[in-house]
Amino acid sequence: MRKQTLSGVIFLSTLFFSNALLADEAFITAQNGQSLDIIDLSSMKKRLSVPIEGKPAGVAVSKNGRRVFVTSPEGRFITVVDTKTGHIEQRILVKGGPLGVVVSNTGRRLYVTDFYDDMLVEIDLKTHKQRRLAIGPKPAGLALTPDGKMLLVAARDDNQIVFVDAHRFRQVDRLQVGRHPFGVTIDDDGRSAYAANVESDTVSVIDLVSRKARATLHVESHPYGVALASERIFVSNQHSESLSVFNAKDLTPVATVKVGDYPEGICASLDGATVYVANWFSNELWAIDALSLKVRAKTATSDGPRAFGLFVGPAL
Amino acid sequence: MMCAKFFKKLVVAVMLLTPPCAAFAAHGASPLKVVEEIKVDAPIEKVWAVVDDFAHPVSTYSVERIETSGNNVPDQAERRLFLKDGVTITEVLTKRDGERFMIGVHRKTDNIQLLPAVNYTSLITLRPVDQGHSVIEWKARFYRGYPNNNPPPELNDDVAVAAVKKLIIGELAALKNYIEKPAGR
Repeated sequence: MRKQTLSGVIFLSTLFFSNALLADEAFITAQNGQSLDIIDLSSMKKRLSVPIEGKPAGVAVSKNGRRVFVTSPEGRFITVVDTKTGHIEQRILVKGGPLGVVVSNTGRRLYVTDFYDDMLVEIDLKTHKQRRLAIGPKPAGLALTPDGKMLLVAARDDNQIVFVDAHRFRQVDRLQVGRHPFGVTIDDDGRSAYAANVESDTVSVIDLVSRKARATLHVESHPYGVALASERIFVSNQHSESLSVFNAKDLTPVATVKVGDYPEGICASLDGATVYVANWFSNELWAIDALSLKVRAKTATSDGPRAFGLFVGPAL
Repeated sequence: MMCAKFFKKLVVAVMLLTPPCAAFAAHGASPLKVVEEIKVDAPIEKVWAVVDDFAHPVSTYSVERIETSGNNVPDQAERRLFLKDGVTITEVLTKRDGERFMIGVHRKTDNIQLLPAVNYTSLITLRPVDQGHSVIEWKARFYRGYPNNNPPPELNDDVAVAAVKKLIIGELAALKNYIEKPAGR
């Protein structure tokens, strides 16, 4: 009897904790609707919608899941939101127009592309000091290596990826990629980076040690972002309403998955089992099983979901 | 401040004087969206026959002639509308999906005098209402005419949205009129 109760307790607590571990939330910037939708991904239901002005586009979630950072390129500020309550904690002004954003592992610093002033901006969230580094015309997506040491920034109109030493905040290299690189993603072991080249319908696979392009993947029309899940590469193609899927190990094509209209922001669940894609024209977030490639669920979002960045975080 | 204002005026003046460029024009960070639809008193097949033909002559612009190439093949097919005063519009077919009754069109020639918006792309989708009626939905994505921050009032987001809205409403009405009126065929 006691044994049964104990195993029952273990069973229930395992269930509880595994559920707690699996629960993710999506933070979807709706650029036209001017809000941040917080969506519970286990139920695919909108939990909160936080009004944010200035045409919000970029998004990053702190590692502990407590804060979400949203860029407003037209408002020229970053909004810091408490993920639990949706309360706006802070507004940080950025001179030109912030677009892409990543947050350091400790949550102390933000790295932001300033699309209108052609800069990379480092923001110290404690001291509020900002450092600026010239990148080249129209810096868009960016990514930080897992060790926090290197930033890769897409200098869109230079058709280049800029390597920046995050601590010294200096450029260390530039790599020519396809035309108009936009989204940049780095894998979990910090070995490869992926840049979506919008105007050449390709993805550059970049070796982070040699800082050279290792391969070029041919995708469908106007690739925007890249997500990595279950040892696969997922690319959202804006003009094709599709995701191009590749094997991350040998870079062979796996499949093409039809999604909603004008897919943009794409991000893996924390366990890598699901890929989420925001469809800008049809105002939906789709959940796709990373292995079966079946559409698991769809949910409506506010108008013009852009969700540019790593928009999935742990639920608290 | 004076200097910045003067600079902006200069930029706008240069933009207005520069001939429309067929390359990938510079644009801002915030795509804009307009969605309009119209009900047509015709079955979807009849509407599709017109919409699917990239060379169809329906337009709100006063077109003097149309040149097409690329045989309706996405990413190859182009149409050139020759308007009065020597103005031309070149559009490329980006998508053609007969199963979903959808085409995509991208305007290659940004011309802010003609339309104060750039990087203008449309998705046109049909859906049936019943046997004799259908709906044409026209969705457009574009950016304001001024590529940087601090747009002048004549090239801001609101102006771009209003202009594209007016254009699409006109295009939809022209399509409806053309499809429903057998005399014009």
